[in-house]
Amino acid sequence: MNTKSINSIINFEPFVEWDNSPFVLFSNEGKILYVNHSAEILFGSVGAKEMYELALAYAPAGFGYITTSISLNYDSFLFYAVTVGYENEEHISLRLYHTPHLKQTRSVHGESLILTDINVLLEANIALFKTKNPNPLTLLTDQEIPQCKIDQNNFSKLLRKVLYAFRASSSLDITLKLLIGQYLVVDYQKQSLIGLHFRANGRYVDGDKEIEAISSLCHVKPILKENAILLEIPLIQ
Amino acid sequence: MGHFFSKSEKVQAIIKGLNLTKNLYVSSIIIGPPYTGKKTLAQSVFPIAPIVSGENLSELKNILANSDEVIITDFEKITNPSSLNLVNKRVIATANYVGNSALIDDLFAFIYTMPPLIERTEDICYLQALYMQEAISVLLVDSNTTFNSEMIPADLSLNNKSLKQSAYKFIMKYSLNVEDIQEVIFHYLFEHLEGKDVYREHLPLYEIPLIKAGLKKYGSQLKLAEVLGINRNTLRKKIYEHKID
Repeated sequence: MNTKSINSIINFEPFVEWDNSPFVLFSNEGKILYVNHSAEILFGSVGAKEMYELALAYAPAGFGYITTSISLNYDSFLFYAVTVGYENEEHISLRLYHTPHLKQTRSVHGESLILTDINVLLEANIALFKTKNPNPLTLLTDQEIPQCKIDQNNFSKLLRKVLYAFRASSSLDITLKLLIGQYLVVDYQKQSLIGLHFRANGRYVDGDKEIEAISSLCHVKPILKENAILLEIPLIQ
Repeated sequence: MGHFFSKSEKVQAIIKGLNLTKNLYVSSIIIGPPYTGKKTLAQSVFPIAPIVSGENLSELKNILANSDEVIITDFEKITNPSSLNLVNKRVIATANYVGNSALIDDLFAFIYTMPPLIERTEDICYLQALYMQEAISVLLVDSNTTFNSEMIPADLSLNNKSLKQSAYKFIMKYSLNVEDIQEVIFHYLFEHLEGKDVYREHLPLYEIPLIKAGLKKYGSQLKLAEVLGINRNTLRKKIYEHKID
């Protein structure tokens, strides 16, 4: 059975849709025509324009497909290669390949984890931060986020350290929300993630190592950027 | 347990933080100069928490082993704080100074700084009036005597302690009658009467307040000399001798 005949009897789209590698189809004007499930999640961390420019930069000289090894990092997503292809002047596709992760057997010590409303800890830390930094601060939180098990003391320390990184920022925006479609495996169980995003016009990086160390104690993944810090918190219940 | 009061924004932020975390298992420390109300504040938010001084390490370890929450005063006096196990405990510590900042940073999730009274101008008038009323009540001062707390000098050198002392001293001094004043002077003189020129040496006890009060009341030396019934030159000589401005 040749490829043409398979195409006529099997719809391949679901295979692409549920592929773990992000796949995006652009028009020749950079409009998104199709994204698979994995790419939808990726677009939470990177803009469509940047993806389109990536596709153009690594496109083959003529019709066809080319795979290029390249290290890419968008928040917590790491990729080691991209495939760009086009068969006509109208469409161009981009596919990104996840860098394999070492299987991490994260385990949590139940006795130090207490069911907690993260909003409360966040609010208390902000109250403390405001005594030292009078600059404007906006807080956007999802009050519906359920309580989750967390090491309250270490997590509070982590919040203090993260806020301290913005001690000289003229303003600070904080967002707390559920990260749709992302999860973390802890003790062989799939856990949803809460994203706590701190964004300013600049920040200190002197405490980044400490932030990483305390994050590890709290089973939190920190994503440290030039002007922002994102904490990915497993929603352990 | 004392009542804690403050209108200071910084202190209100501490109260807010402590109240938000009062049901959580986190360790907090309030650092600030002595007599700024740290312990009273901690007790007002955590009224049933056992209190132990950092000087008493064995009792502290005992409480930590048997209780979920504790207020530790004088944290800076703990000889080996790194040996404490604060995991999953609700700890509220107070300290007069930071000491080992790295250790404090490591042990405590919330590090609050209590401002001295001099930076809490909103609180001073209220506390002065409070201490004045307390002094009037404690010293059983005649209720017919009226006092104005603004008359009390606000000594903030030792925060609440010196402010309270100044209120008590003021009320005590201004509520003395002639017999009380004579009795005070009697005790003083009884302790200090020694030597061969005692009369002259102790005249300032009487003359200095007399001349100062007279000058304040009458404004001029001429008028005061007349009121006192002494020669103007004698008054001038005494002002010079007692170095009165």
